[in-house]
Amino acid sequence: MAGVPLIRFAAGAEGGVERFAVHDQAALGHASMIGDQVPAPGAPGALDSLLLPTPPLPHEPGRVREYRLQAIDREIEVAQGVHFAAWTYNGTVPGPVIRATEDDLLRVRFVNGGAHPHTIHFHGIHPANMDGVFEVVDSGDEFTYEFPARPYGMHLYHCHTTPLKKHIHKGLYGAFIIDPPEPRKPAKELVMVMNGFDTDGDGENNFYSVNGKAFYYAKYPIEVRRSETVRIYLANLTEFDLINSFHLHGEFFRYYPTGSTDFFEYTDTVMLTQGQRGIIEIDFHHTGKFMFHAHQSEFTELGWMGFFDVVD
Amino acid sequence: MSAESGAARRPTTARWRLWAFVPLVLLVGAVALAGGTGAPVTELVRSNPPPADEFAIRRVTFEPGEIRIRVTNPQQADLTIATVTVDDAVVPYELDGPGTLGRLRSATIVVPFDWVQDDPITVGVTSSSGIQTTEAIPAAVETPGVSGGSILGYGLIGLLVGVVPVALGLLWLPTLRQTAPEWLAAFMALTAGLLSFLAVEALSEALTLQAALPSAVGGAGVVLLGFALSYLTLTLLSHRLGRGSAGSAGPLRGLALATLVAIGIGLHNFGEGLAIGSSFALGELALGTFFIVGFMLHNVTEGLGIAAPAAEDGEAVRFSRLAVLALVAGAPAILGAWLGGFFTSDILAVVFFAAAAGAAAEVVLEVVRFVARKAPGGLTSPHVIGGFLAGLAVMYATGLLV
Repeated sequence: MAGVPLIRFAAGAEGGVERFAVHDQAALGHASMIGDQVPAPGAPGALDSLLLPTPPLPHEPGRVREYRLQAIDREIEVAQGVHFAAWTYNGTVPGPVIRATEDDLLRVRFVNGGAHPHTIHFHGIHPANMDGVFEVVDSGDEFTYEFPARPYGMHLYHCHTTPLKKHIHKGLYGAFIIDPPEPRKPAKELVMVMNGFDTDGDGENNFYSVNGKAFYYAKYPIEVRRSETVRIYLANLTEFDLINSFHLHGEFFRYYPTGSTDFFEYTDTVMLTQGQRGIIEIDFHHTGKFMFHAHQSEFTELGWMGFFDVVD
Repeated sequence: MSAESGAARRPTTARWRLWAFVPLVLLVGAVALAGGTGAPVTELVRSNPPPADEFAIRRVTFEPGEIRIRVTNPQQADLTIATVTVDDAVVPYELDGPGTLGRLRSATIVVPFDWVQDDPITVGVTSSSGIQTTEAIPAAVETPGVSGGSILGYGLIGLLVGVVPVALGLLWLPTLRQTAPEWLAAFMALTAGLLSFLAVEALSEALTLQAALPSAVGGAGVVLLGFALSYLTLTLLSHRLGRGSAGSAGPLRGLALATLVAIGIGLHNFGEGLAIGSSFALGELALGTFFIVGFMLHNVTEGLGIAAPAAEDGEAVRFSRLAVLALVAGAPAILGAWLGGFFTSDILAVVFFAAAAGAAAEVVLEVVRFVARKAPGGLTSPHVIGGFLAGLAVMYATGLLV
């Protein structure tokens, strides 16, 4: 039934092969779309500050790492033409990547420029009064979180003001990387924060993404070199849905839960619950365009998909 | 003296007539003032809640490899189509119409999609503000397009459920003419009963349908308008017909009354055809033989309803007159089926069901007026009461078949 009527989409196409290609695209929708055909918000490179972390620094106990995070209420485009009234750290969802080496002294100055009270709750080991639970920062106020960065691994941070669901799904979260004293081997490093957006407030996500824009990496595939290990700092900050996942096509990868260095799983699919995170290392065998997406098909077709463009 | 006072009064009258425009001019000024001050008056109380930003999904049709979604903006503020989903998946689409819809403007979203025959399917349209409007279709079936076959098909459906049963019912005329007066009165009362049933049924249908319309175009007011329009038109018509036949404004009788009954039933059958056509086209209705047979049995009583007043004349009615009556009462079902099958018809359906209710109510009144004056024993005779109740019962019982 599918084949015959769709030929009219191929108006102007000549020859069987071309006709078949056009038919495929129309019938399969987003699953087979890549590049300019994909409706996705944002310009090329728009998410680079979230995707590409600053390089790790060598181990130097006591070194001060300063960050400034400001809560900003802002409307962001989360899918083609769809605007979401977000609560952000520094204007983006997810917020900026915070990176330190183990034993650095982390000093994060938080300014609440939003209309509601907020905090920052870091995962990791720190004193109780730096936990972002009781030290609620009112609108217009500020607070400085200061603690030694540990343990090394892949972590995350998010607002811990109640109602939690609201404060997190509105966009107050981000990736928090603590590098080990013994540096990881050199790699092309990427950060991917999996999230969802409930744009109509019914307690269910309408769109899913990594780094905040549905179908963005399908429109702009991430170019990587075959000779280089690809390291992904992956975190799940999806609200409402209990789990999210990462699946890679045509390749296997090493998955280090919570960024451990001595334990990994060799697989092509990992499942993460809310707040769970880890590090993925890929050594591509082949060049070409390889899809990555949530293995929950629904999430995939609502925006959480993209491509690696592996080149020599 | 008197001419002088008349001349003096005339300018005064003209002045007071001109005065009628003063409130209108002032109203325009007041509206401009209220609308033009920038900050709306309501801001003094509180800020307005955001618009609902929900689309009205009017019609979802299925063609091979394609889904077409007709949407309307039912609200005051503009509404922009941002993304379209089918079964919770974002899909590529093309727009036939504007992407940003002003108040009550519509567009058709064309989605290339390999849908599965007979499977339930849900389409969704998300506004630029992220609000998703969904419409669940119980079973996807191909929507018939305009073709020789489908025109003929809908025509035959209309013929079978409309014209044929009414014509068959009219064939009771010779028998009715031989009936004793009290029994003829019983059949007249039966006509009133079945028309009352149709009036209530049509009114309920009109009210149900209007509730599903975008609130800006719907509203019970449309129902009242349709009802009043047909009721008053028929009142006027019956007045004319009554004067024409009897020379005085007595109760309508004989063929004239039968014509009026036929018009009322015709309006109802138009609405019925519309409903059958559109439900069948949209796959909401399995239109089997049983369904059509049920409608035929249901509607054959309508023919009886027309025949009863015609029988009262006592003289032979020309066959051509009977054919015309059958067409007036039955043929609108064909028109309705075509209209419902091929076009969006939700507002039309409300208006016509309301009109059918109004027409039926008016005709009931005419019939009751006739029975009250002419029937032996008047309205309180057991024949009349029994006939009326039998009319309701027959319509209910045959209605169970569809």
